[in-house]
Amino acid sequence: MTSEETTESAAPVATLDGTIWAEVDRALAGITATAERGLLDVIVHVPPAEIIRALKALKADATLNFDYLRSLTAVDNEEDGIDVVYHLYSTTAKHNLTVKATLANDNLFIDTATTVWRAANWLERETAEMFGVRFNGHPDPRTLLMPEDMDDTFPLRKDHPLAEIEVLQGEGMGYSEEDQ
Amino acid sequence: MPEGLFGLNPWLDGLIRLLMIVGLMTITAMGLIYIERKVLGRFHARVGPQRTGPFGLLQSLADALKLIGKEDLRPRNADPWTFEFGPYMVFVPIFLGFVVQPFMAGFSVRVLDLGIMYFVAVSSLSIIGWVMAGWGSDNRYAMIGGMRAAAQAISYELPFVLSLLSVSMLTGTLNINEIVLSQWQVPNIVWQPLAFLIFFIAALAELNRPPFDIPIGESEVVGGPFVEYSGIRWSMFFLGEYASLFIMSVLISALFLGGYEWPFGTQLGIGFQFLLTVVKAAMIIFLIIWVRASVPRLRIDQLMGYAWKILLPLSLLQVLVNGFVLVYDLPRIVLTIAGIGGVILLVSLTERAIRLPRVTHQSSLVTQSEAAS
Amino acid sequence: MVTESASEFETQDLLLNVGPQHPSTHGVFRMVMQVDGEVVREVIPYIGYLHRGAEKLCETMDYRQGIGFMDRTEYLAAMNAELSYVMAVETLAELEVPERAQWIRMILVELNRLASHLMFMGAFGVDVGVFGTPFIYAWREREAVIDLFEEISGDRMMYAYLRPGGLAWDVPTNFVPRVREVLTAVRQGIADFDGLLTKNEIFIARTKGVGVISAADAIDFGMSGPSIRASGVPLDVRREEPYLKYNDINWNVITRTEGDVYARYLCRLDEMRESVKIVEQCLERLQPGAIMPEKMPRMLRTPPGEIYVRTEAPRGEFGVYLVSKGGNRPHRLKVRSACLSNLQALRHMTIGSYVADALIVLGSIDIVLSEVDR
Repeated sequence: MTSEETTESAAPVATLDGTIWAEVDRALAGITATAERGLLDVIVHVPPAEIIRALKALKADATLNFDYLRSLTAVDNEEDGIDVVYHLYSTTAKHNLTVKATLANDNLFIDTATTVWRAANWLERETAEMFGVRFNGHPDPRTLLMPEDMDDTFPLRKDHPLAEIEVLQGEGMGYSEEDQ
Repeated sequence: MPEGLFGLNPWLDGLIRLLMIVGLMTITAMGLIYIERKVLGRFHARVGPQRTGPFGLLQSLADALKLIGKEDLRPRNADPWTFEFGPYMVFVPIFLGFVVQPFMAGFSVRVLDLGIMYFVAVSSLSIIGWVMAGWGSDNRYAMIGGMRAAAQAISYELPFVLSLLSVSMLTGTLNINEIVLSQWQVPNIVWQPLAFLIFFIAALAELNRPPFDIPIGESEVVGGPFVEYSGIRWSMFFLGEYASLFIMSVLISALFLGGYEWPFGTQLGIGFQFLLTVVKAAMIIFLIIWVRASVPRLRIDQLMGYAWKILLPLSLLQVLVNGFVLVYDLPRIVLTIAGIGGVILLVSLTERAIRLPRVTHQSSLVTQSEAAS
Repeated sequence: MVTESASEFETQDLLLNVGPQHPSTHGVFRMVMQVDGEVVREVIPYIGYLHRGAEKLCETMDYRQGIGFMDRTEYLAAMNAELSYVMAVETLAELEVPERAQWIRMILVELNRLASHLMFMGAFGVDVGVFGTPFIYAWREREAVIDLFEEISGDRMMYAYLRPGGLAWDVPTNFVPRVREVLTAVRQGIADFDGLLTKNEIFIARTKGVGVISAADAIDFGMSGPSIRASGVPLDVRREEPYLKYNDINWNVITRTEGDVYARYLCRLDEMRESVKIVEQCLERLQPGAIMPEKMPRMLRTPPGEIYVRTEAPRGEFGVYLVSKGGNRPHRLKVRSACLSNLQALRHMTIGSYVADALIVLGSIDIVLSEVDR
């Protein structure tokens, strides 16, 4: 799932027929983007350093016109780093795209998308406090949902403990024997 | 008329009458609270109070007991004097307004020759209490509420007084009793429909009833000046509100609806007169509650604009027309026609005021602040 | 009117703290307003008072247990929230939902939309300042819907009735006549609101031209639901990416162009009429049949994958981003809250307006704080 330097002729391309990948690929010229087919949308992996350039290109492109940021969040993949996930939508062309940037665990910095959509403001604040991802240049880097002094614990990371629930499940409330 | 009731010493007589007022006012206010709750409940398609006593009649009593039993809190940073005396400054002028209310022939506390003047002077005093409460509470909601109350009272005092003036022009007296007696044939509302409408609207504003309940706007300033009050002090505001509601309804019925005189007040005796007063006041109160149940609150700028741009010119117009008719001795039907014309004008102006494009400085400010952030 | 030129009398702006306990903030929302007299100069919203970590909790629960958290996330439209979630799980687990379950789901989510919009009408009427009347009117009609839900699911708010694959159990036998009764009540409620508020002069004066947001701004802020449709953007997931059976029936996307508070109110009112239409059509198409797939695994597991499912909840797009690494629990569950995105635009809409307007603008975007904070 990491966005290593894979070439665009990699395996998933065959399954991308009939999607907007061709357009996206054209719009993202000069950016090392790779694609895979999600269940509903195309998922594009972009290196974190180029993410804002990519998002701006996707928004500015006349045929793609991704003017609507549906959702911005992150996924903690533990040793594989943290994915920052952008769900884009075009209100005119009516298509979707998922953009992912994978941050290494020792370098959780990414540029802010508030320069592209104002919608990203609170979503980035939430992502920052929940995952510890730092958004460079964010206009309002306060916490959103967490207390203001809670800037060293990141509740949605996988290593954040959930002690009570684990205990309860150990006592037979959960399906612990079925766990993977 | 220095002669006291039952031939008593005038001072003692005055004291008895004042005590009667206080008792009557309290009972009236409690009754009104019950009625308002019941009627509002009906407007809301529910039943209102029904558990306390037969038909919930003791609800107000229960409320009063609860309020008396509550602790009288004062915020630490509140200004003690203004905070503690605010409720009295609201309460006392309202009681003073009771002095000139005509219930039956010969049954007001005092029949003053300048009754209307006295009422206007006294009733506008209570606004000082509102501002005191708002300022003394050391609460920003309260302060905003107090300022709103002051602005509103100053604005609506003018159309209020001017429409009173048109009535006294017509009857040639400032004595409320004589105004009532002069309506033995036709109530004033027939001659002065516009003044009645303006007076009614201004009275709503004076009473801070919806749609002019801006100072206490529950959903904006959370009770305005009353926000920090509790227990007996808060209940004094509450009592004052309903007492003034009652007084205002009696006054409207006396000035415009013929009070205890029309129809057949003198012929059918004092009991019937009292009934007339109560029924008319009840109608007005019902109307006010009805308005409360059906209209939203105005915004402060709309409220001020409405007073200064629509009500005030129209009430001035009414005074002018009255003067014209009186000076040139025209038939009174002219007044009616002019009044109905005025009502139509008022309604159409109100309609137009709603359709006007809104003046706002929203866009410029947004760009400013976004450039800043 | 306070203008810039009035500043020669050195005045000081007042910081007014609204909330978290305030009648008009619809829950524990707090905003600090900097007011100049009655004009709002700056708004700083604070949220998070109701943050319960539902997303994190869902990661520790198996898929069926997560349904309950969705109810609590969006408690005024719990069916819609459940729908997004179970659809996400179904797509990941490749479950086929039977016809009948789909029609029933559609009826339920539209009824819940009605209940939620009724709630809006009532609360908004109170925000604008009608003493209680719209609230009780709304409550009465909403009660009919809630009663029906109680008969179906056994609970009045936290239904937990949808399941990955279908429904928990079939609806009662008198379902169709009961829904028709509810629709009659709701139609009456819509007519009542039309009479009480829509043509009310003061209501119009208070709401028209207030809190205007342009289509471009609304898109940029990621608004959704009636709040963006009132600005003239026909963004409705039901039409643009049809799920369930929305393609098989006739209904219209309600849009208005003004983008003000009144337009948002009218949008919701008209949407309620559309919802009634949708439910009526669904009732005609409802056939007996299974409500769960034939081969339902006892333990629901999903293959690795991820999906972002969005449905049109009453307040806008309710999205569920579900990442699975296999097994019976989500690896990551993100709830895309429409209220959060709509609330972001509050500052833009309120600065420069009056204090009273700021509060009705907040009311007009119809937030549910538990969905904002999750």
